[in-house]
Amino acid sequence: MVGVLSLLVIGLPWLGAAVIWLAGDRRPRLLHGLAVGFSVLTGLAALAMLPFASSSASVRIPFGGVLGDFSLVPDGLGVFIAAIAAVVGSLAVIFATDYMRGHNEQLSRFYALILFFIGAMVGLGLSGSLLFTFFFWEITAFCSYALISFHNDDPRAVAGGVKALIMTQLGGIGLLAGSLLLYSYQGNYQINQFLANAGTFPAGVLGLMAFGCLVAAAAKSAQVPFHSWLPDAMEAPTPVTALIHAATMVNAGVYLLARFYPAFQGVPGWRLAVMIVGAASALLAGLMAVAADDIKRVLAYSTISQLGFMVYAVGSGAIFASQFHLLSHAIFKALLFLSAGALITSLGTRDLRQMGGLGKKMPFVQAVFVIGALGLVGLPIANGFFSKDLILEGGLAGGPAWLYILMLFSVGVTALYSLRLVRMIFAPQAGNGRGPEPTHDGLPAMRVSLAILAVGTLTSWLVGGPFGRMLATTLPAQHLQAESTWALVGQILVNPFTWVTLAVIALGFSLWAARKYFARPAAVLKPLAESGLGFEWLNRQIVSLTQRAATFLQRFQTGQLNWNVAGILGGLILILILLAGVR
Amino acid sequence: MNLSPFTIGLIGVVGLLGVGFYGLLVSRNLIKIVVCLQILAKAALLALVAAGQAAGQIDLGQSLALTVIVADTIVAVMGIALGVQIRRRTGTLDVRKLSSLRG
Repeated sequence: MVGVLSLLVIGLPWLGAAVIWLAGDRRPRLLHGLAVGFSVLTGLAALAMLPFASSSASVRIPFGGVLGDFSLVPDGLGVFIAAIAAVVGSLAVIFATDYMRGHNEQLSRFYALILFFIGAMVGLGLSGSLLFTFFFWEITAFCSYALISFHNDDPRAVAGGVKALIMTQLGGIGLLAGSLLLYSYQGNYQINQFLANAGTFPAGVLGLMAFGCLVAAAAKSAQVPFHSWLPDAMEAPTPVTALIHAATMVNAGVYLLARFYPAFQGVPGWRLAVMIVGAASALLAGLMAVAADDIKRVLAYSTISQLGFMVYAVGSGAIFASQFHLLSHAIFKALLFLSAGALITSLGTRDLRQMGGLGKKMPFVQAVFVIGALGLVGLPIANGFFSKDLILEGGLAGGPAWLYILMLFSVGVTALYSLRLVRMIFAPQAGNGRGPEPTHDGLPAMRVSLAILAVGTLTSWLVGGPFGRMLATTLPAQHLQAESTWALVGQILVNPFTWVTLAVIALGFSLWAARKYFARPAAVLKPLAESGLGFEWLNRQIVSLTQRAATFLQRFQTGQLNWNVAGILGGLILILILLAGVR
Repeated sequence: MNLSPFTIGLIGVVGLLGVGFYGLLVSRNLIKIVVCLQILAKAALLALVAAGQAAGQIDLGQSLALTVIVADTIVAVMGIALGVQIRRRTGTLDVRKLSSLRG
């Protein structure tokens, strides 16, 4: 039963992608219908899989040889990632039926790639073999690249796509190296076997795998210093951004860290490195979000920052808190991005400075956007409040105090940029009053997605208890403890640090109120933050260094046959000597 | 001293390889290069026969050698034909003057 379901959740969207690809662009209404049908069916199948979570493989197909076994393990983490990908995926597709109106000429490519992505993301979550995890990982990277560059006549979109592809490839290399190391020491790629026997691996190998895994996760989850691809990925159509660059693919890094935490936690320095990467991303990206003027870039930086919270939580050992925040974040950030998409189609601009005073004209979008912002800031009732407090609690228990203080500071910065975002869009007195007039307040299909996500933002914390139990029963290696939802809520409310967090949030809000006193330092810091705090400069240096090295190496390419033969012969002799030496 | 047929074969292989590689390293004429490639291929052919004899599967080695002869002839014909065309178009067969593969 669960085997069929888990194959279905990967197979349905891929079948849909093939059908839509073959259907061509001539009948857009048919394409919209097909995409919604396939994605909603996938979402239902993924939800149906939730009760069957178990830690034994549901599907095992031997490929033989170096490929090993392809296996799907529907454990708590796996079905959870699959459900988020499939459900948010279907909502994004529903939203896209309105968003993509007027882009009929490329519609089949768009939907095919989205469905292909959903299937790959589900596979990434469920795969029990590290090699196939790597394959799915690369498919998601490819879909992300192709969808960022979807408007392929726009040079910025193409550049953003290529940048995302190159930077996430760095992570792919780390993952591939990890899986090959695993194969050479274990003889297969099965993750669960590795988690059970990680203690028997040589310390050096384990350390190499642990830090390779951290690089992979940082590149995929856009963590410092590999974060700069995510803001440039904002050229993608907004439903794609909401799905891939907020709710699913960027979580793959956090997922990977959480999955391998039991094996790597003993590696010296690894946990601290993970926590520092997370805290640095949370803080730096938050500061950049305060300075950005493009609504999608603000949300992109905020995504990096929130992912930093999750990475920090994994590093401090709070696996459940990180996955709980992953759930909350997937919902409220998808909501924020999709509302931003509604704003963008309605206004025709992404520039915050041209917005302002839209609250009266777009009451529905304002309502859902504010709900999303509540989740992002972490105010009570919204899901972000509970998950973020769990993270801070876990961080204080499992990590050094100075990192906790940095995270608290990031919480304040989150409050500051969220309030700035909401005020700049909706407040009556904001803007210069000469911005474009909105043409709609969310089209019907958009409203369906937005309403579902808004309800989810307000209520998803209620599943905290069952979700924790599912993780605890199916992930033996992680040693989690299940608690009921109300016990969690009580624990959060009683904890004095929750109130510290709320005070910091209030402080962040008051910073915005007192912004005119900070006008001068802000004016100095703004260009610095807009240029990505020097990371863009670093990227350019690396690119130019690579190009100069290539130009230098060109000199050895003489084009003379005799030299080439000499090179081949030299290589051959070298190999012979090496072989003789090994013997 | 008495040498086994396999050793004699191997000496032939190494000798042919040396001649072929030496030719490839020093010659500038395209036709000579094709000839050197042929010598290298013949070294491989001899190695196949010798290896088949040493492994007790002489028929396998010989049939592989026949396959090599067929494939190798095509290489020779193509190389010579290219040489003829290059001579007609550029007026030279000197590979140093033909090098447009430079980076």
